[in-house]
Amino acid sequence: MKKNKLGLGIASALLASTVALSGCSFSSSDEGDSEAGGSSDKVTVDIFQFKVEFKDQFEELVSTYEKENPDVDINVKTVGGGNDYGQALKTSFSSGEEPDIFNVGGPTSVDEYEKYLADLSDTKAAGAALEGTLAGVDRDGKILGLPFNQEGYGLLYNKKVFKDAGIDPSSIKTMDDLEKAVKTLDSKKDELGIKAPFAFPAKEKWVMGNHLANAYLADEFDNDVMTAYKSDTVKFEMGDQMHRFLDLQNDYSIQPTLSLDYSQQVEENFSLGKVAMIQQGNWVYNTIDSMDPDFAKNNVGLIPIPVKGYEGKIPVGVPNYWVVNKQSSDDVVKASKEFLDWMYTSDEGKKFVTEEFKFIPAYEGYEDLEIADPISQEIYNYAKDGNTLGWVFMGAPNGWTENDLGTAMQQYIAGDISWDEVEKKATEAWESARQ
Amino acid sequence: MRNRSFAFWLFLTPVILGLSLVVIIPFIYGLFYSFTDWNGLSATQFLGFENYIKLFHENEFMDSIWFTVKFAVVTVILLNIMGLGLALLVTRNIKSNNLLRTVFFMPNLIGGLILGFIWQFIFISVFGDVANLTGIEGLNGWLSTTNTGFWGLVILTAWQMAGYIMIIYIAYLENIPKELIEAAKIDGAGSFQRFKTVTFPLVAPAFTVSMFLTLSMAFKIYDQNLSLTNGGPYNSTQMVAMEIVKTAFSDNDMAYAQAKAVIFFLIVAVIALTQVYYNKKREVDL
Repeated sequence: MKKNKLGLGIASALLASTVALSGCSFSSSDEGDSEAGGSSDKVTVDIFQFKVEFKDQFEELVSTYEKENPDVDINVKTVGGGNDYGQALKTSFSSGEEPDIFNVGGPTSVDEYEKYLADLSDTKAAGAALEGTLAGVDRDGKILGLPFNQEGYGLLYNKKVFKDAGIDPSSIKTMDDLEKAVKTLDSKKDELGIKAPFAFPAKEKWVMGNHLANAYLADEFDNDVMTAYKSDTVKFEMGDQMHRFLDLQNDYSIQPTLSLDYSQQVEENFSLGKVAMIQQGNWVYNTIDSMDPDFAKNNVGLIPIPVKGYEGKIPVGVPNYWVVNKQSSDDVVKASKEFLDWMYTSDEGKKFVTEEFKFIPAYEGYEDLEIADPISQEIYNYAKDGNTLGWVFMGAPNGWTENDLGTAMQQYIAGDISWDEVEKKATEAWESARQ
Repeated sequence: MRNRSFAFWLFLTPVILGLSLVVIIPFIYGLFYSFTDWNGLSATQFLGFENYIKLFHENEFMDSIWFTVKFAVVTVILLNIMGLGLALLVTRNIKSNNLLRTVFFMPNLIGGLILGFIWQFIFISVFGDVANLTGIEGLNGWLSTTNTGFWGLVILTAWQMAGYIMIIYIAYLENIPKELIEAAKIDGAGSFQRFKTVTFPLVAPAFTVSMFLTLSMAFKIYDQNLSLTNGGPYNSTQMVAMEIVKTAFSDNDMAYAQAKAVIFFLIVAVIALTQVYYNKKREVDL
């Protein structure tokens, strides 16, 4: 009797462990097999992308494409923006589940993944890309990525508040103009029904370290991300202006700024009309739209950040690139390129890009299509007329914009260090990273 | 011990396999990578102890360790006092015993991330509104300075974990033989004396357990830190776990982060083992 029980026990233990083991080792390799192509006539393309905001719309685009091309099967995986994506992408590479199409942010991650990046120079999309948008992914004439879209930023303002205060936004060109306008707004706070002229989210290191700083750093790197990427140092040639602009936003903001975050800035304060201006870009449109569609559509305008010598220009750049994994089999690479081409150059794809994704296109051939939201439209106009400043912050050393510059700015706002020390600390960190 | 049968090892196989797959092997891998320049995709160079030497000169890492140590000391003391206090409260014969136990335990069921966001709302909006109404300036901007950020984290953790620690103390309190208490009563001991000489020594094993739990928890805290302050302002409320994640994923310095993690592991292991050793010595047997 006892022996029997033991036998049963052993049998079930064995069974349990084999089931558990086989469960984890075989589940993923199935996909791998069909992906390799060879025997099956259907090509599977795995896409790993980061833009959560357009996940549903992108999947819709994919299923439209699959209907037209029945021999291609596309799987989309989306993992949230910023750090999370980089983390997840790295994990999937080191675990051997390499996606066929994925995203890279700029020159730093191009370098990191270079041995995986296929040359996309022969794609139609690469040919149609607007001038300058390929700078970050051009390696010795090989185009390693295709731009997602363009993004731009500046000071978004509440048209109604400005009108009530009697300020003409188009007259704001220089820092003096802006300062004057802010003071007017501040003195009329109560009658305008706002709490402060600005909502400045000093808790978000990227708002200061990436975007604010970029406006004043672009000039010293010739508005070119690659110049920044190759530079051994940063000099803060326009440091005084950066300082002044930071102070202006911080002093005339809802306090305390150090615990004010992005969602409070955009949702609670700007969308609900509690402040007159915020420093943000076209990516906030959907958020404002979800809070107050009418406000989003009719009441949001854009003022360029005042930079001496660049009055009336706004920073426009490519936030992310599509890349194709060249370690995938040839027909997968081919199918991937075809898909990307279709997305940006076919009529149907283009319609998705502007109407559903609400992108500011980084490609030619969109002249007669309407751009969905007013902020993007305004930015596209600036870009079309060449009134732009470069996006150079993606050429900074890894983590520098946020962890070094952004942190130092927070220390400055807290009153722990002077502005000179901010510049000194940031410069030292840049130099030591580039040694 | 020696004549374990074949069946014994067979039954143990799944556990050993699982443990080595998800704990031991990755740990050895990690140890190896901490000596290289691994960037998450490939390691090209063997650096020896370079990463380790570098980290002892890095202010940010040292600051985060110091911050974590301070946090651990405060929370361990606070949590054990609160846990024991709550346990004493709910082991008395009051009617709402069970309800109270549930209520005290409940915060522990909410995930750390959500808790962080809830308390962020309380510290920023609720405290701010109260400050505006009452004019107490001290309530404004709780998460915008290092000091108040620290206490914010302590309050959050105490609120979350006190109920859990309470459960452990309840278990031990209820195991104390009624006769001992009664005997002490007959001998004329007052309630404070009874607590000091009878109850307290007998719950010493609970101290060992809950001190270990609170200590290791306080050191490893991450999600509450991330959602409440995100290390801000200027990384001054950043705990070790968060600093390591940041080094790995935003500075993209995987091997260096791994070296930090190894040092972190050693610190926690040494502290926890010492604590258990000394607490064990203090326990009394019945």
